[in-house]
Amino acid sequence: MSRHKISLRVNGQSYELEVEANRTLLQVLREELEMTGTKHACERGDCGLCTVLIDGVPTKSCLALAVEVDGREVTTVEGISKGEELNAVQRAFIEHGAVQCGFCTPAFIIAATAFLKRNPHPTEEEIKEAIGGILCRCTGYRQIIDAILDASRKV
Amino acid sequence: MKYSYVGKEISRIDACEKVTGTALYTADMKLQGMLYTRLLKSPHAHARILKIDTSEAEKLPGVRAILTGEEIPHQFGIYMTDKYMLAREKVRHVGEPVVAVAADTEEIAEQAVELIKVEYEELPAVFDPCEALKTDAPLVHENLHEYLHAPFVFPKPHTNIANHFKLRKGDVERGFKGADVIVENEFNQPMVQNVQMETHASIGQWLPSGQINVWSSAQSPFAVRHLLSVGLGVPIHKINVQVPYVGGGFGGKAGLHWEPLVVLLSKKAGGRPVKLVMTREEEFNTAAVRQGMHARIKTGVKRDGKIVAGEIEYIWDSGAYADYGVNIGRAAGYSCSGPYEIPNVKCDSLTVYTNHPYGTAYRGFGHVEFHWAIERQMDLVARAIGMDPVEFRLKNAALPGCITVTGEKLREDCGRVDECIKAVAKELRWGKKKPERKGTKVRGIGIAALWKAPAMPPYTSSSAIVKLNEDGTATLSISLIEMGQGTATAFAQMVAEGLQIPVEKVKVVSRQETDYAPYSWQTVASRGAFMDGNAVLRAIEDARGQIKETAAELLGVSKDKLTLADGKVLAEGRPEKGLPLGTIATCGILPSGSGIKGPILGYGYYTAEGLTGLDPETGQGLPALMWTFGAQGAEVEVDTETGEVRVLKVVTALDLGKALNPLLVRGQIYGGVVQGLGTTFSEEFIFNEKGVLLNNNLTDYKIFRAPDIPDEFVPILIENPKHNAPYGARGIGEHPTISIGPAVANAIYDATGVDLYDLPMSREKVWLELKRAEGRK
Amino acid sequence: MIPKFDYLRPKTTEELVGLMAEYGEDAKLLAGGTDLLVLMRDKLIRPRYVIDLKGIGELRGLSWDEKRGLRIGATATLNELLESEVVKERFSVLWSAVGVLADPTLRNRATLVGNICNASPAADTAPALLVLDAEVEVAGKDGERIIPIRDFFTGVKRTSLKPGEFVRAVRIPNPPEGAKGGYYKWGRTRGEDLAVVGVAALVANSGRRIMRVALSSVFKTPLRVFEVEKIFEGEGPLGEQIERAVSVVREKIAPITDVRGGKEYRLHMAGALTRRALEELLGGS
Repeated sequence: MSRHKISLRVNGQSYELEVEANRTLLQVLREELEMTGTKHACERGDCGLCTVLIDGVPTKSCLALAVEVDGREVTTVEGISKGEELNAVQRAFIEHGAVQCGFCTPAFIIAATAFLKRNPHPTEEEIKEAIGGILCRCTGYRQIIDAILDASRKV
Repeated sequence: MKYSYVGKEISRIDACEKVTGTALYTADMKLQGMLYTRLLKSPHAHARILKIDTSEAEKLPGVRAILTGEEIPHQFGIYMTDKYMLAREKVRHVGEPVVAVAADTEEIAEQAVELIKVEYEELPAVFDPCEALKTDAPLVHENLHEYLHAPFVFPKPHTNIANHFKLRKGDVERGFKGADVIVENEFNQPMVQNVQMETHASIGQWLPSGQINVWSSAQSPFAVRHLLSVGLGVPIHKINVQVPYVGGGFGGKAGLHWEPLVVLLSKKAGGRPVKLVMTREEEFNTAAVRQGMHARIKTGVKRDGKIVAGEIEYIWDSGAYADYGVNIGRAAGYSCSGPYEIPNVKCDSLTVYTNHPYGTAYRGFGHVEFHWAIERQMDLVARAIGMDPVEFRLKNAALPGCITVTGEKLREDCGRVDECIKAVAKELRWGKKKPERKGTKVRGIGIAALWKAPAMPPYTSSSAIVKLNEDGTATLSISLIEMGQGTATAFAQMVAEGLQIPVEKVKVVSRQETDYAPYSWQTVASRGAFMDGNAVLRAIEDARGQIKETAAELLGVSKDKLTLADGKVLAEGRPEKGLPLGTIATCGILPSGSGIKGPILGYGYYTAEGLTGLDPETGQGLPALMWTFGAQGAEVEVDTETGEVRVLKVVTALDLGKALNPLLVRGQIYGGVVQGLGTTFSEEFIFNEKGVLLNNNLTDYKIFRAPDIPDEFVPILIENPKHNAPYGARGIGEHPTISIGPAVANAIYDATGVDLYDLPMSREKVWLELKRAEGRK
Repeated sequence: MIPKFDYLRPKTTEELVGLMAEYGEDAKLLAGGTDLLVLMRDKLIRPRYVIDLKGIGELRGLSWDEKRGLRIGATATLNELLESEVVKERFSVLWSAVGVLADPTLRNRATLVGNICNASPAADTAPALLVLDAEVEVAGKDGERIIPIRDFFTGVKRTSLKPGEFVRAVRIPNPPEGAKGGYYKWGRTRGEDLAVVGVAALVANSGRRIMRVALSSVFKTPLRVFEVEKIFEGEGPLGEQIERAVSVVREKIAPITDVRGGKEYRLHMAGALTRRALEELLGGS
């Protein structure tokens, strides 16, 4: 199997890595870089829990090979806010009870943060559509939607 | 009573860790020298294992340990010890693990599994629990008579019956003779799965010293420790079980799962830690599922609406193993009537082995299932006597003073199902004119009531420790697992209330470890807020007593003249003499500089008391620590052309005694309702004729996504306090999931005039039933 | 885990053609990866070589002009299509199909060309391409050729691509003046799902009445039902024509029963969605 030298930036930091061709971005983030904030629950694109930003665009990292991401900028939940200061989406999630077991939370934070950048004043239906690719089994999505709506009003 | 913290909408104490991705789950953990496990699983539903050849796999570099069932004869179980970690002699369901490989990487382990060859001889299999009851059915467990089991489980040796729960109240025959109308119906629902987002993850380490360390996504560290000890024959003090955050459980991580397997692999690998993280496919095929159910309900009723007799049969498709299934059958049996008083009842609840994946607990534990039957039946009976379904339910409601099916007289503080039913009916504008049909779209409303008590043995206990720190903050240790339900936050509020310090000054230890944490039986059954909550209250009380003792001596006033406020101990009438709590946390210091007393360490426990075992022949006794009553309502719009059912509104009324934190209670309700809607509409195991699960992924096993949720949720929190409960609070973790299905089905009937008897009510099924009804006209 | 393979990233189509000639059946092409990587993880395929197309500049992006219409490069993502005003305004049937394919996050990676090369009977973009008379631009060691989309799908997961050939782009001529269209997708749930049935319809009235219907998930390939088209060429009450179209659609499709739906339901829904599509699109005209 081929091995590849790649360089990528993750949360503003540069990394030079050598990866095997079959390694996904998800695996490299969690196993090599030990950034375990990005989760997974299916590894075939159904659950969306592994969502990260590649050059600002939400992507399911289980379906992206690490070698494909060579030279790109990756943002994970660990880098979505500045230091200890939470972003508006994170604050709204806390305030609205949009977090339960927390396993899907990083993906929703990532997706919602990127979504509000593109669409700062969404309707409820647009939010449902935007997060439709990410599964949550605890919250029934209600408080997640409320949190994103509220964050959009405060941004 | 006004409280400063309890009852307030306080944000979760673990939320910051979770929104920043720093909350640690077992699957995130990596230990020095850790090995990774993959499993070889059975392709057959029922087959004899003739030969296992692991020789090629052993040669693969990086493979450190391979185990087959032959090597591990230990049986494990909490109620019915019927399961090995790896199949021995035969496999009993597709997906059952046969060989486990631990290797340096997951990839090597996976390659090794592909090199293992197993020869099977297929055996006749049985998939339908009703078929499995027949005398000529293939036996799933030939040695059932040898299995150890809890005393309240009644297996029938040489059959597929893992448990026969019997309930006999009054005289059913006479009851039916006195009935004006008898209505009998059958209802079904398929196997479904918990689908917690975090798959089962365990790390095990069996050191040469005999010390066993386990890290696991378990709901119940102490149960894991105990069952490991029994199964492996290792003393308990040599086992330490740690549980970090758990990414959802819903019952599926209760009891013991794959912990023994990783521990045994570690032993074979010389003590290196061994990790197993289930794939999603394994969650469906290999880990446990919710049992399927077939129900037959016969109800005798008087013209005036009083139910006089019920004959109830619940047949559970327990799958290949029934460790948990036996208790689910039992719990459904002793609650079999639903929240109604019926003088004469006969119930048989049979947990039956088949060659399907095996059953376990899933939120609502038997109750989501049987309420589907009972609450559909209530509407059908009401209709048979021409009575309004709400009026009919109220007429038979189990109110204080009523006698339950097990002979328990409901106490004054048991909660009020009638208030829940009325609140839901009012919100649904029950009895008002229905909206007009719009094209192919028709609307309807439906209601269903519910009850559930913690389903557990009569003798479980919990404990808690609260420590006061030198700066006046407090640390609470419990063994309730935080898997999303928010109990830890509610407990932080209780500590804040009890010590009169801000919630921010309370830490609830989030990572549980049996070596250090106080004992709690399991995080299951909606028992935590009540049982562990009571333990926490007593621990706070103990700490308060210690604080006052130290302060009394320092201030020279008697203990009963002291109060706690603003983080201080205050002497009555002398506010200037307050002692900041932190100053007495480790000991009191006299003006002379001498120390007195000691560190403040409050301990409390709570044991379920006053419950009894149930009579094996009649099921009479006291199984219920507390009932939580409720009612669900649904307003739907059915498209008669497509079978699509759009849920416009779900109303959930629960008599929860006291909402310790309404923000989190609503979260439990929204989430529970949506899980209930999944069971109602889209979730089901679809097998082929060989017992192969055809939809073992999240593409074709459809759990709800954001666009699927109802347009509106209306949670109604009714607060009739329960005595001896923390601030009067009852458990509600499971209840929002119960009776969603029948409320929706009753609404579909209201809209269309068509009755549904089987879950899930997919678009296709609704369309087929509408078409069939059209054909009958 | 995704099994082992060698990853290759050619920079030109010539290089790509060379690699495909060299590795033949052992190689698979990677664009968005949302089908390929799932098949590999599930061990349904185990290619020894994976050739990433995203390094080839000329396969990227969309282009449109008044004369030749729309050209969609092999690595253009679905969200690129969704964000294109031209696609939204002029190719509304395609735009509506892309908007219901999988979910917004997946559409950031998934490509239209990948969707058709995967050749699932449930491919959401295929019916839209069928009613738009799209053409598939194919290249390989023996040169280039154009395959009309109607000839592209040959069976479940099969296409008329020959070994060594790849799809360079999909070309769509500008639809007839005043054309309107939509893709009517039916799943098991409102949220993201694969199509139990999908119906793409395109109508126009520029001198003569044009009406085209194609479906997903009701035949071994995505299927355009040409037979309905002449129904609308003749005169007659619209309601009757629509009902005739519905029954022709039902005659021509051959759905199966699988985990996502039964044959009978698919037959019914194919008709119901065809009616809904035609009523909505023709209702105003």
